[in-house]
Amino acid sequence: MKKYTTGQPQAQPAWRWVGERGLRVATGSATLARYESLMSLNLADVEDIIPADDSLLLILRRAASVSPALSLALAGPLPDSRSGAGRPRHEIAVAYGGAAGPDLQALAKQTGMSEAAYIEHHAASEYTVAFLGFQPGFPYLRGLPAALQAARRASPRQRVEPGSVAVGGVYTGIYPAGGPGGWHIIGRTGAALFDPKRDVPVLLMPGDRVRFVPA
Amino acid sequence: MIEVLRSGLCDLVMDLGRPGQGAYGVPAGGAADPGALAAANCLVGNDAAAAGLEIILSGPRLRFPRGGVLALTGARFAASRSSGAPVAWNETLVLAAGEVLTLDRPEAGCRCWLALRGGLAVPRVMGSRSTFLPSGFGGHCGRPLQAGDVLRCGMPENDMKLLRATPPPAAMEGCLRVVAGPQAAQFDDAGLAAFFGSPYRVDAASDRRGLRLAGAPVSHARAELRSQGVLPGAIQVPPDAQPIILGWDGPVTGGYPVIAGVITADVPRLAQLKPGDAVRFVTIEVEAARALAAVPWEIKELA
Repeated sequence: MKKYTTGQPQAQPAWRWVGERGLRVATGSATLARYESLMSLNLADVEDIIPADDSLLLILRRAASVSPALSLALAGPLPDSRSGAGRPRHEIAVAYGGAAGPDLQALAKQTGMSEAAYIEHHAASEYTVAFLGFQPGFPYLRGLPAALQAARRASPRQRVEPGSVAVGGVYTGIYPAGGPGGWHIIGRTGAALFDPKRDVPVLLMPGDRVRFVPA
Repeated sequence: MIEVLRSGLCDLVMDLGRPGQGAYGVPAGGAADPGALAAANCLVGNDAAAAGLEIILSGPRLRFPRGGVLALTGARFAASRSSGAPVAWNETLVLAAGEVLTLDRPEAGCRCWLALRGGLAVPRVMGSRSTFLPSGFGGHCGRPLQAGDVLRCGMPENDMKLLRATPPPAAMEGCLRVVAGPQAAQFDDAGLAAFFGSPYRVDAASDRRGLRLAGAPVSHARAELRSQGVLPGAIQVPPDAQPIILGWDGPVTGGYPVIAGVITADVPRLAQLKPGDAVRFVTIEVEAARALAAVPWEIKELA
């Protein structure tokens, strides 16, 4: 890769290739800021940018290489990181436990608290959408208290109901559609997380704030 | 217009997909060999991005009540026309009103693409006419074709000629070419030796979301990995040490280490892999992969 001597004070972020079109860029805690700064540039050679946990995946157009403009953009300074103020806040009504949350009882036991306490803590936190993935519109929500975290189920469920609110590792999330799933299901919401016919097909966008309200 | 007399195993309306919506968790999808669909469209005077059919393993029987100009690309299927005229691949075909086209089984590979002059006029969803089966939207009612379905065409926009297409040279045998992946260092010597030194068999549980492979275990350190963006061709290795090549309708993020990524020029070969096929892998450099991706189909007028 060419080296550019631009005098930029910041080191070029580390990247690695996924095939010859996928550029995985380590972004640490500045993932969303870097995502927004790259999106605002509308770079011609970039077909898509997928935010994830602590990295972005840039998908280059077929046969495109890393242009000087992209290289500069990756090395450039970030705008002030967002505090989250001004981001949309969503309240998601959840029916916790019972048939709607078949894993709540075992999960509460595993974490050493009562079901009521687990629900109370889950609903008391404010979450931030880190990124979407797994399924269209599936939000990975950051902010799950450490006491509520649990490794994914040893064997995934064959069928998770649409709207299932779940816990997997450090995240809580919501399954927009039915299908197999490996997270612990603690409740269900009627909120429509994904509708391809809407102008904006997803209910929650990276950076949005979320609170769960027991129904 | 197309009337479906008998559906194939899984006939899907596809165009070049809906790239650019990964942040919504929506993969680009689209034709598994976009070059082949684009070439078929070119043969009938359509824009490259018009919608056609992607047909796999066992083809449909289709009636063309008003006739039509069509083209087939990809794997050659045993095929016949009610007129008795030959069914050529990679050429402009002109069907008379009422003709029936029957596609049976592929001679080699598994997928072919059918383009019809005017393009299939299903509604665009999220900017594309491609079927996205995992969420059931796009294409014809978000599902594979069924007997009795009627597909309408758009108005032809471009002039057309009788043409023949030739795909870029690609070995249909030999190794799939890959670029070493972001977590290649997480794999131990035994895992790397297995992956690059032994054949893998395509498992029956494979579809447009991913090709599951079975073979020597690709061992790696089971470190907890954060979710990362992935794209078609990325080869993930879950804890069971059996690799999965992510497909066109796969998830946009994944939490398993990625040992390698299939190069764009070999994605058409991924599109032709079927359960039971054997695959091997070999690495090439990013620049070489990019040069291969730039080689187009050749289109010539029929003499």
